[in-house]
Amino acid sequence: MINSFYEGVIVTCCVNIIAVLGMSVLTGFTRLFSFGNAGFMAIGAYAAAICSVHYHLPFALSVLIGAVAAGIVAYLLGSLTIRLRGDYFLISCLGFGECVRVLFLYLRNITGGAVGYTGIPFRTTWVVALVCAIAAFIIAWNLIHSRFGQAFSAIRENEVAAAANGIDVVKYKKMSFVFSAIFAGWAGGLYAHYLQHITPVLFNLPKSCELVITTVLGGLGSLSGSVLGTLVVQLLPEFFRKFSEYRMLAYGIAVVLVILLRPSGLMGYKEFPDLFKKSGKKKSTGGA
Amino acid sequence: MKILIQQMITGISIGSVYALIASGYALVYSLLDFSNWAHGEVCMLGAYCCFMATLVPKMPLSVSCLIGIGGAALISLFNEKLAYRRIRNNGSPNMFLMIAAMGLSTTYQNLANVIWGSKFKQLPRFFKTTTLNINGIFVGTTDLLCIVISLIVLVILLLIINQTRFGLHVRAVACAGRTARIMGVRIDQVIALVFVMAGALAGLAGITYGMKYNVYPTMGNVGLKAFIASVIGGLGSVPGAIVGAVLLGLIETVVSGYISSGLRDLISFSLLILILLIRPSGLFGVDVQEKA
Amino acid sequence: MNENSAPLLEMKGVEKHFGGVHAIDHFDLRVMPRDIYGLIGPNGAGKTTIFNTITGIYQADAGQILFEGKNITKIKPHQAAEIGIARTFQNIRLFGNLSVKMNVIIACNMRSSYSIAEALLRLPRYRNTTKDIEERAMGYLESVGLTDKADDIASSLPYGHQRKLEIARAMATEPKLLLLDEPAAGMNEEESIDLVNFVKKLHRDNPITILMIEHHMDVVSRLCEQCTVLDFGKTLAQGTVEEVKQNEAVVAAYLGGEL
Repeated sequence: MINSFYEGVIVTCCVNIIAVLGMSVLTGFTRLFSFGNAGFMAIGAYAAAICSVHYHLPFALSVLIGAVAAGIVAYLLGSLTIRLRGDYFLISCLGFGECVRVLFLYLRNITGGAVGYTGIPFRTTWVVALVCAIAAFIIAWNLIHSRFGQAFSAIRENEVAAAANGIDVVKYKKMSFVFSAIFAGWAGGLYAHYLQHITPVLFNLPKSCELVITTVLGGLGSLSGSVLGTLVVQLLPEFFRKFSEYRMLAYGIAVVLVILLRPSGLMGYKEFPDLFKKSGKKKSTGGA
Repeated sequence: MKILIQQMITGISIGSVYALIASGYALVYSLLDFSNWAHGEVCMLGAYCCFMATLVPKMPLSVSCLIGIGGAALISLFNEKLAYRRIRNNGSPNMFLMIAAMGLSTTYQNLANVIWGSKFKQLPRFFKTTTLNINGIFVGTTDLLCIVISLIVLVILLLIINQTRFGLHVRAVACAGRTARIMGVRIDQVIALVFVMAGALAGLAGITYGMKYNVYPTMGNVGLKAFIASVIGGLGSVPGAIVGAVLLGLIETVVSGYISSGLRDLISFSLLILILLIRPSGLFGVDVQEKA
Repeated sequence: MNENSAPLLEMKGVEKHFGGVHAIDHFDLRVMPRDIYGLIGPNGAGKTTIFNTITGIYQADAGQILFEGKNITKIKPHQAAEIGIARTFQNIRLFGNLSVKMNVIIACNMRSSYSIAEALLRLPRYRNTTKDIEERAMGYLESVGLTDKADDIASSLPYGHQRKLEIARAMATEPKLLLLDEPAAGMNEEESIDLVNFVKKLHRDNPITILMIEHHMDVVSRLCEQCTVLDFGKTLAQGTVEEVKQNEAVVAAYLGGEL
């Protein structure tokens, strides 16, 4: 029905969309930076793979366990580190991500070490991936347009004012962090069931950076921008195979240009419906 | 015991390279309140500049080193003029500086990959790799050279910051940028000079690192270690960065020597998180309470 | 005012130091329900520090703060909002990139209670609450005359409107006590009078008590019955505005300046 090349492209895009949407909520809406979300992807991927292969759990349940595991770890980590200011929080996430990768390399008996974890059944077809990505978008959209997401935006804009308006800054930051980790874990679990063979190097620091870069390119504070950003970042190199070694170079330059020229990214605080809406007309659904 | 001393010297030597980079991080952070992620790549490019210079026939190694240091200083200045200054001036949130730095870092790393390929390049060394035998303790000459050079340079740096008029300006801008401007300090000039200094330090670090090991596009990741060191020491504190760097170097070598080299990063990162939990602003950092 | 009724806000011997500096030194205050109470003093007198200790941004080093008789000395900022203390800031703190309406909606959210599951699945309680909150937010905007600006970006508003929006946002948390930090700062004569009338109307239409910091003596005399004068963290005088104006220490401190 669809050849394996296109299936691969669709699955990769969808998986990354889920991870980037998590990142978008964390960075774009709450203005917390994490260079460790690949670590949460790794946790989701390995947990889901182990559930599938070792415990023969059904696919959906395995992926769910992977996502929840990532969320629990984020909750524990966040309880310790969420109060750290700006760069200190960022470096603690980065350190965490690297710890996860090294730990998975080291625990050969469980994870297969550098060789990787093999024999994962192929379950993430392009249909599954697409359905998941759409579901992820709806969930993230609903979150952002609820009092929880509005609290995230308030924290992004001004922490002191947010607190003065009854927002428990620490609690909501942690919630945002856990949410992004659950999405990363979800993406990881799906990815494992597509690749059938995962290694720690898939979830290294450059992967975390790629998630952040995609979020920035798409536009901080826009979920549809994040989807667009992911499509650009994932699809362009597929269609310009020849230039694949310039891929990361181009992203680096693009990030600098975006920050210098259009700091709000491709979509910048706007969602797709906003583009077709004149100001002063009836507002869109949800209340943002 | 002798092995431990030997390893501690190796640790201090790698720590002194970290210290050169970390002090640059700290200087920039103290002025602009952001982590200059591209600093590791400045260090890498400095090493490549030096490497390219050594390819020129009859070029003395010391001149090549100066070219490397100068190149790094220029690139550092370029980053400030091209990107950071504009972002500061157009009133963007501080976070954008860090994102721009991240973009520059990605750009340089991949640019180096495109230009020179991912193969390791070897920098020539001042001495043949020999080890001195001091009472049964074996010490590499390159290690010793690293320590001595870093020590001299860092002492000079601290003297500049604490004893000269320029250093006074740097400290004034770090304390209160706007007030310093009103008092007649040319802020942009001070910042530009600090970037040059930080770049030169990074270039020196890149060359020593390149001599100790190799030159390769991702060697800028050593900047990550330096970043960790400056976080341990307390962001924005130069003495803190130096102490943090030596501490990190020591921990890394001792862990690789006595526990497992595979766990080296795991333990240094866990330690980092632990230190942050106990002292959220690093060892030498000042906890600032935001004024409402 | 009934002298026998319990004060809404009471501060007893509150102290706050920064390093060696006594930002506030043994500060006492009694604000009765429905008062409009003024805090006066030159820059650096410690007025904003008092607000910050009341709202939990700073922890007092000594002393006690009571709100409706309950000890709130160790309260956290968001808890202060929950028990009914709202505030504005000297250097306006809006949610700059969000719409005017969203600024108020966020404040209204504090009193809504739908769960995260209800939000993610858009269950009826979420939908009803959101609709209800939007109507309430528009109501608050109407009360400050910003209805037609509802969809504008908050930071694009002119200064005077930003101040009003900040007050509307504070009112949206349904406070019992409203702390206004220099509401007339940077305003000319005419705008100040406008503000005085606005605050009077706010006080008349809502069951609130107001504690305000203000430099402009004319604003204070038009609004407040009671006031406290501070200088370098110390209380110079306390009483009705007329009494305070006659106080020698106050006159000496100001040397006929703003008074």
